[in-house]
Amino acid sequence: MSVTSLVEFWPQKRVTHPNDDPQGLLAHKEYKWAMAIDLDTCTGCNACTTACYAENNLPVVGKTKFEHGQQMHWLRIERYWDEEDREFPEQGAKFLPMMCQQCEAAPCETVCPVGATNHTPDGLNSQVYNRCIGSRYCSANCPFKVRYFNWYDYSDDKAEAFAWPSPLEQQLNPDITVRSKGVMEKCTFCVQRLYTAKNKARSEGRLVKDGEVTTACAQACPTSAITFGNLLDPESAVHKMWQTQQVDIAKDEQHKTDALRGYRIFEELRPYPSVMYMERLREADV
Amino acid sequence: MNNSAEEKDIREDIAWAQINKDVMKSLESPRPIYWVMFAGALAMLLVGVGCEIYQYQVGLGVANFSNPHVWGLYIATFIFWIGMSHSGTLLSAILHLMHADWRKPIYRFAEAMTTFSLMTAGLFVAVHLGRVWNIYWAIPYPNDRGIWPNFQSPLLWDAMAIFTYLTSSIIFLYIGSIPDLAICRDNTTGWRKKLYTMLSLGWMGTDRQWRNFRKTYLLIACFLIPLAVSVHSIVASDFAMSQQPGWHITSFPPYFVAGALYSGCAAIITLFIILRYTFRFEEYMTLPILDKTARLTFAIAMVWTYLNLIEYASVWYGHDMYSKEILIQKATGPYAPFWWAMNFCGSVVPFLLAFKSLRRHIPTMMVASLLLNLGMWLERWMIVAPTYSHGYYPYTWDHDQWPSFVQWGIVFGSFGWFGLLFMGFCKIIPSVSMYEVKEMVYHRTLERRKETEWKGEKA
Amino acid sequence: MSKRRIMGLFNDFEEAHSAIAELLDANIKGFTRDDITLKSPIEHPEVEQVLGERPVKVQRFTFFGALFGGITAFTLIASAQATFLMQSKGGKPIVPIPPDLVLTYEMFILGGVLMTVLGFLIGAGLPSRRSSLYNVKVSEDQIGVLLNLEERNMQAAKDLLRKHNVLEIMEEVRK
Repeated sequence: MSVTSLVEFWPQKRVTHPNDDPQGLLAHKEYKWAMAIDLDTCTGCNACTTACYAENNLPVVGKTKFEHGQQMHWLRIERYWDEEDREFPEQGAKFLPMMCQQCEAAPCETVCPVGATNHTPDGLNSQVYNRCIGSRYCSANCPFKVRYFNWYDYSDDKAEAFAWPSPLEQQLNPDITVRSKGVMEKCTFCVQRLYTAKNKARSEGRLVKDGEVTTACAQACPTSAITFGNLLDPESAVHKMWQTQQVDIAKDEQHKTDALRGYRIFEELRPYPSVMYMERLREADV
Repeated sequence: MNNSAEEKDIREDIAWAQINKDVMKSLESPRPIYWVMFAGALAMLLVGVGCEIYQYQVGLGVANFSNPHVWGLYIATFIFWIGMSHSGTLLSAILHLMHADWRKPIYRFAEAMTTFSLMTAGLFVAVHLGRVWNIYWAIPYPNDRGIWPNFQSPLLWDAMAIFTYLTSSIIFLYIGSIPDLAICRDNTTGWRKKLYTMLSLGWMGTDRQWRNFRKTYLLIACFLIPLAVSVHSIVASDFAMSQQPGWHITSFPPYFVAGALYSGCAAIITLFIILRYTFRFEEYMTLPILDKTARLTFAIAMVWTYLNLIEYASVWYGHDMYSKEILIQKATGPYAPFWWAMNFCGSVVPFLLAFKSLRRHIPTMMVASLLLNLGMWLERWMIVAPTYSHGYYPYTWDHDQWPSFVQWGIVFGSFGWFGLLFMGFCKIIPSVSMYEVKEMVYHRTLERRKETEWKGEKA
Repeated sequence: MSKRRIMGLFNDFEEAHSAIAELLDANIKGFTRDDITLKSPIEHPEVEQVLGERPVKVQRFTFFGALFGGITAFTLIASAQATFLMQSKGGKPIVPIPPDLVLTYEMFILGGVLMTVLGFLIGAGLPSRRSSLYNVKVSEDQIGVLLNLEERNMQAAKDLLRKHNVLEIMEEVRK
C-alpha cells in the first residue's frame, strides 16, 4: 500500500524549495493565501487585534500575565517611536500589525519533534493543536516570535486562569476549538473561514473568488490597511499589490526601485514570508 | 620510574584477596550516616516532585516562562546532565583504548555516573513539555493514524540518541561488572547471593569466557566513543540547527562535547574524593590517580576555554550584527554576573589544577571540582537565556525572564534523584572494579620484576 | 572409558602454564587441548601460548548487527517520511538526507552494541549453570586448571599437578 501510494502521489507532494522555483509556487496549485498590509494607512487602532480575539477564541489573560509576556494575541500591534526632532513625542509613533507570516520555508516546521506544524497545499503554516506536546521549539526558532503558548489552562472552568466565565462563553466561535494548556497556537489566516469558503466554492465547481473570503483582521480594519487574498489568482487585489510593489514570494532579496514601498520582514533570513508590508511614508523624507 | 610510594598509582604488593576484602566491605549493610544522606537526597527529590506536581496541574506559566522566553532552566539542566554523562565514556572507553591503566580503580563509578546522569536528564525532557502525558508521541511506533514523529527535528534526534546512549551505557556497565558480580556471589549469603547469582550469569572465569569478554568490552568501548560524541553533538544541534543568533554556530557540537567531557571529569573528581573518604579506598583511589585525573581535567578545561574564546572571536570577525549584539548582551546585560561567573569558573578556576601541590590537596580539589561544574551549569544557562532576551525581533528585546521557584525546585530535586541512584548503586554493585585492579597490580608486578631483572643484568 | 573431571588450584599463572604445557607434551591418548580449561580471576591472554589460539566470533555479530541496525533505521525512517505526506514541511524535501543519516548513525551504533551483547553471551556460553568443580578462590586470587580425563590417566595427571606446586585438587564426585 505504501509504495503504490508513494508512487502515485509523489509528483503532487514533492515540496519545492522557493529558491528552486523561479516561476513561483509550483508547490501550490490552486490557492496560495497571502496578505498585504499598508503601514501608511494603519492607524494603530487595534480593531484587527480585537476581531482576531473574537474570531479565534483567544483568551484574555489579564494585566499581570500580559505584562509578564504571557499574552495570547495572535495579531499584535507593535508601536515604534521615532523621536528625532519632534515637538511632541507621539508624533513619531509608527504601528506594525505582526502576525504569523505563514512562511514558505518556515523555520518552525522542521523542528517540531512530533510534526504538529506543517505546510498545507494552500500555502499556510498549519498548527495541529491535538498533536502538539508543547516542546516550544517552534517558538524558539521563529524569527518573528509570533507563536503563542498556552501557559495556563484558559479553557478549564475550574482553573484559576479561566478566561470565559459566564456569560462570556456565549461569544465563543463554534467553528474553532478552545485550546487547552500546554499547546502552541498562532495566526492561521482564519483557516476556519477559508475552509468553509473553499468547500462552498468546490460544491459549485469553481475556485474561491477574490473578496469572497477574508480574515477577521482584514474585515475589521476601518482604513482597509489589510488586504487578504489568493496570490495565485491574477485578478485578486493581493496579487496585484504584490505585483505593483514588485515583491516576489520566491526571492530572498528583491531587486526593485527604491520608490516602491513594498517589503517583507527578515527576508534575508529566508523564511519566505507570505505577508508583504508597505512602508509608511507619512512624515518621512519623500 | 620513581619508586617512592607517593608516585605510584597503586602499590604492587597488594594481595588480590585483600582487594576483594576491601571492596566487598563497601557493600556491607550501611552505617547510619548513609541513611541520613539517603534521607537528605530523598527530601531533595520530594521538593522537585512537589514543584512538578504544581506545574503539571496549573501549567508551565508558573515556571515564569513567557513569550519569547520559552525555554529556561529545564533545557539548560538537561544539557548539563547529559554533559555529565560523558565522564564514564571518557574514563571507561577512551582511556581503555589508550591502555591508560590508572583508570582501573575509578572507572566503575564513573560508568555508573554516566548511566544515572542520563536517567536524570530524561526527567527534564518530561518536565519541560507542555503536555507531558503525550510524550510517547515522540517515539516512532506504528499507529492506526499512520502518523510518525518528525524525523527532521533535532529534539527527536535527542530522543533516539539518548535512548541509544542509555541502553549502551547500561549494557557497558553491566557487562563490565559481570566478573565482579561473580566475586560478590561468592562472598555473600542470603538474598544478596541469590541476586548476584542471577546477575553474574554463572560466570566462572574460564579462558573461553575471558576471551569473549575482552573482545566484547573492546568492541562496545569502540562503539561508545563515537556514540558519546554524537549524542552530545545532537544535543548541541538543538541549538546549532536553529536559526537564532547566538545559537546557529557551527562550533556548537564540539563546544558542547568539550564542555561535557569537562563537567564529567570535574564530577569524577568530586565523587572520587567522596568515595575515597567514605569507603576508605585510599589504597585504590590513590593521590597519584587523583593527580592524573586533575591533569586530564585541566587539559579538557583548556580545550573548552579555547572553543569558548574562539566563538567570541568568530562573532567579532563576522558582520552579523545580531550575533554581536547577543554577545554584548551576555557581557553587559541582565545576565552579565552569571556570564562572567561562567567564564571565571570555566577558564580561571582550572588553573588551580596546574599546580602539583594543589592537585594532591583534597579540600582544594573538592572545591575546585564543584566550582568547575557550577561554571558548566552556568554555561548551559547562558546559552539558553540570552538568545531569547535579545533575538532577531526588536519588539521582543529587553524583556527579561528569571526562573521561578518551580524551576529551581525541580533542578534541585534532580540532584537528589541522582544522589539516590548513586547511593543505591554504591551498595549493590562494587564501586571499584576488583578484577581490573587485580590486573593493574599484576601487570605492575610483572613490570617491576622485569625491571629488577634488567637492573640485575646491568649490575 | 568414562571421563571424569578434576581441577587443580595454583597460586600463579607460571605454575599453571607449566603444568598445562607438560600435560600436553605428555601426549596422553584421547587428551587434547579442548579438555583443558583455565579459570582465573583476571583475564590472561597469554594462556593462548600454551593452549593455542582460539578464535573469537563476537566481531561477526557486531558487524552484522551494526549493518542491520543502520539499514533498518534508514529504511524505516525514509518509508515513514515518504508515506505520510500530510506532514510535509515547506521548503524541505520529503526524504531529507541529513536528518535521516543522523538517525541511521545512531541506530547503526545501537544495532552494533545489542548484537555484540548477543555475540558475547553466545560466545562465552552465558548464562550457564556453574559446574560443581568451582572454587570461590578462583574469583579471589587462585588459578584453576580444569582437566577432563579418562580414569586411567587420572593418577598420572594428579602427580604431574603436584609436581607443579598445586595447592589443592578438587574432584568431581560421581553419583
